[in-house]
Amino acid sequence: MTPPITVELIDRAKPTVEACLGDAARRLPRLRHADLRLEVVEGKWAAAENGAPKGSGDDERLTLGVRVLAGERMIAPGYVGLTLGAADLAELERLLREALETAYRRATFNADAKADAREKLGPLGQALDDTRLAPVAIRRDTVGAVCRVDPRAVDLAEMVRYAAEVSREVAAADPAVKYNWITTLTQLSRELFASTEGALIDQTFALTQGASSVVAVTGAASLDLHDVLGHQRGWEILLEGVAEPWLRFPTFREFSVALARDAAELAAAPPLRSSDREVVVVTDPHYNTLVSHEIIGHPVELDRALKMETAYAGRSWLLRGLSEHHVGRRVASPLVTAYSDPSLPGYGHYAYDHEGTPAQRVVHIDRGVFRGFMNSRQTAAIFGGEPNGHWKGTRASLVPLIRMSNTVFDAGRRAPEDILKEVDHGWYVAGHRMPSIAESRENFRISARRVYEIRNGELGRLYRDGGIMADSRDYLMNVDAVGSDFRLYPIPNCGKGQPMQIKKLGNGGPTMRSRARLAGGR
Amino acid sequence: MRTTDLARAAEQALELVRTEPGVLEAEVFAAANTALLARLNYTSHIPSNGVEEPKSTASCGLGIRAAFVGSAGPLVGFGSEPSDLGVTGARRALDRARASAVADPDFVSLPRSSREPRALVDYHDPALMALDDAALVEAGWKIVGGALRTFTASGKLAALAGDDAGLRRLGVILGGDVTILQERVAIASTHMPRVQTDESTLITAFVTAMVETEGAKGSGGSTGTRLDGFTDEAGVEAAANAIAAIGGERVPSGEYTVVFGRQPVADLLNNIVVPACTAHAFYSERTPFLGRLGRRVASPQLTITDDGASPGLVGSKGITCEGLPTGRTELIKDGALVGCLSNWYETQRLLRDPALGQKLGAAGAEAERALVPRNGFRFGAGGGREFDAQPGIAASNVIVGGADPVSLEELLRTVKDGLYIGRIWYTYPINGLRAGDFTCTVVADSYIIRGGRLAAPLKANAIRINENIRTILENIVGITKDARGTIVWAADEVVYAPEIAVRGVHVDEIATFMEELD
Repeated sequence: MTPPITVELIDRAKPTVEACLGDAARRLPRLRHADLRLEVVEGKWAAAENGAPKGSGDDERLTLGVRVLAGERMIAPGYVGLTLGAADLAELERLLREALETAYRRATFNADAKADAREKLGPLGQALDDTRLAPVAIRRDTVGAVCRVDPRAVDLAEMVRYAAEVSREVAAADPAVKYNWITTLTQLSRELFASTEGALIDQTFALTQGASSVVAVTGAASLDLHDVLGHQRGWEILLEGVAEPWLRFPTFREFSVALARDAAELAAAPPLRSSDREVVVVTDPHYNTLVSHEIIGHPVELDRALKMETAYAGRSWLLRGLSEHHVGRRVASPLVTAYSDPSLPGYGHYAYDHEGTPAQRVVHIDRGVFRGFMNSRQTAAIFGGEPNGHWKGTRASLVPLIRMSNTVFDAGRRAPEDILKEVDHGWYVAGHRMPSIAESRENFRISARRVYEIRNGELGRLYRDGGIMADSRDYLMNVDAVGSDFRLYPIPNCGKGQPMQIKKLGNGGPTMRSRARLAGGR
Repeated sequence: MRTTDLARAAEQALELVRTEPGVLEAEVFAAANTALLARLNYTSHIPSNGVEEPKSTASCGLGIRAAFVGSAGPLVGFGSEPSDLGVTGARRALDRARASAVADPDFVSLPRSSREPRALVDYHDPALMALDDAALVEAGWKIVGGALRTFTASGKLAALAGDDAGLRRLGVILGGDVTILQERVAIASTHMPRVQTDESTLITAFVTAMVETEGAKGSGGSTGTRLDGFTDEAGVEAAANAIAAIGGERVPSGEYTVVFGRQPVADLLNNIVVPACTAHAFYSERTPFLGRLGRRVASPQLTITDDGASPGLVGSKGITCEGLPTGRTELIKDGALVGCLSNWYETQRLLRDPALGQKLGAAGAEAERALVPRNGFRFGAGGGREFDAQPGIAASNVIVGGADPVSLEELLRTVKDGLYIGRIWYTYPINGLRAGDFTCTVVADSYIIRGGRLAAPLKANAIRINENIRTILENIVGITKDARGTIVWAADEVVYAPEIAVRGVHVDEIATFMEELD
């Protein structure tokens, strides 16, 4: 029997991958660039529902992705993606060559069609241009995973037992808890990137996650909460929690039971009423995690800003054209600084992106002034600037897009309790729940887990089913206090792309104070 | 990969499983999927590729669900193996299923034969199934060409532009994709040992066009199951709608009678109504329709049906990914909740749930009729029937109809003054599904209705809808006749949507600061 797929396959595949790329560069006459990604994931999961086991799995996944830029009259891209199995390993070299040839064929057809369109489509055809990649340092590097308990060593039966036990404790946390769904995941993934430019980058990541969903019912009111604990570490984080400077979690058991108690308490709370006008709002780090995701992270993705996501994820209000944009302009209060940083820990951490660009911190807003975008080699070639390593795909078979790494509001200097105490009348908005953002990210409504009235600097009554709504620029400009209590959180489900890619990444921030309308239920 | 290869693989795997000790029952699902996709990106004011990504994803393999003998009842597991359809692959999948098996107390059995007959056989398009790389690229450029020719021919744009360079400076944008799905599956089980196969194909175009300096956005789309019907119409339609949206006006916050166009109807169904009608939403007490089976949940004018077996409709399949016949499930009939989307597992456990009456609102034969498992699919994101997934619940063709449908002109005359909303975005149940609250913004294809006609375009990205789905369903004042296949981003189902007028819809004006930036 063919041996199963393991992350060690990458070691054996490296010479073959390089040979195939070299061969393609020599053999395919109109090829200008090719890169290839190979990814192995060894993962285990367990799920429990209402105290009983529901399922588990111990799987490997091998995926392959190829990009080719080719053409004669014009240069255009072509791609191919495949899911492979153990039975393919004996013929890996042939499959790699065929994938390169298929992507090349698509690129050359596309280049010819683009050149024809440029000639035939009049003045609008003139905007069609060659595909170019901005230069990057070509690296050959190996980056290892960080974990204490190797995901491959975790016993699947123990994962099932643990998930069921957590689920039972959640069910018992409060009589109002009527339903719960608990899942755990631990995996090791290894990604190989190689290109005709000579890059050869081998990165391994450990990732462990626990997710809890709870429905609590009190009378006619029902509350549905979901939250995730996770890190690029081993199984130990669920049993012991995380105690790092920016990432802090209790054990998964405590995390899930606390969520259940929250749901039960909230189901008994009154619903928030919407306000007709802006009020003072103090938002906590968990809530600001989603705010930073939606109104900082997404609009500073350069593919979106360059209109490449117009049909799907939308555009960005920060850029209309190559010379009409907000770089260098004030878009927020001087208290607001925001950046993306793949060197921070958590879900957004990596050393190289999926085209081999060394990952680096990108400051988006520096003391209120907009400074720049996350980019890729292709978008950097169009807009200018150095590639900063944010082109990422959720598996090798899917074409990467510009994605957040760890995109955050920077910490301020204020004690969070002081920010609250200064408010005569306002609202404390804690814990993110669900977002809805305008197409160019110019307006947002995000629901919170808990909303408290603030009177004379003290927390008052608790409300459910509420959140805030504001225009993004106004909200950022109105920030008048930023706390020192910076926290990072995992976001497990950021959707972008066609076909949809659901990505894990990091966001965060400190306590902040601004102005917004309250948005409650109807 | 041919369907006969998948059928042989399912048969062989089932033979293997039957000889294995400790297997109580098992099901083998073999699938080969290819998604071909040409993603489009054209911008007149920024260098672009036109066809940005001609690409594909492909996979094949088999998955085994099995129940094993356990010390205190059956242990249920699932395992899969990519690429290997032989006995070795089946052995690996079965070993994984055994290793992952758990004692699920809600497990009753794997799917058993249905009394309903299979309606669709041999319905796929061989030309789409055999589409090559050149045809994929050509399909993308067909849409780009149609849109750019429409923009170039527009007198309205020419007047705004002045000259060729001026036309490019207007910021003409085209985005979207042409997607082709090629799906082949085979399934056999201990309860249904005769191998069943299914082949389906579809082609869709999903296009957005803009004249960005004018803040004007339009959409176009086409859905079909045959290559020979594919034209540039989606690109032409999107460009024409973008041109028509030039000169958009703002409206103040307030309550309006709103005519929801086809995309908003599809979006509301995809994100709220369809999830609320799944058996799992009732089991987990997360639906706004909890305990409402047989009772009114919408205006008597509204009927919503899922029909996975209708010939020629884009989401039709011969069998579900559980080997059961697809078919017609009425969800809401004349305003009353009458059925749910379900798979075998959810139906079995909900029918045995002691709280069935409270959760669903009915028990016995009425509940059984409402929970026929016609929607157990293994869809991956963006389509395809995945060998490595267990069946979830997904809609197929959701068909929306009205009791007394009228023409759009008639509906507008009835509304007299209000808003026509043609495209909404980021529609989510903001306070959880059961609360029914939702919000979204209006992003394209919208108009102000004055005096019973479309009087002026509504500016894109200038209002947010803040409403509750119960209000929308209750306050329907009219539905048009002409339902069209409509897709929304990342949705599994196709909604055959008419336009629906609803009174008392709350909207808030947003993003006025954007005017200062112009």
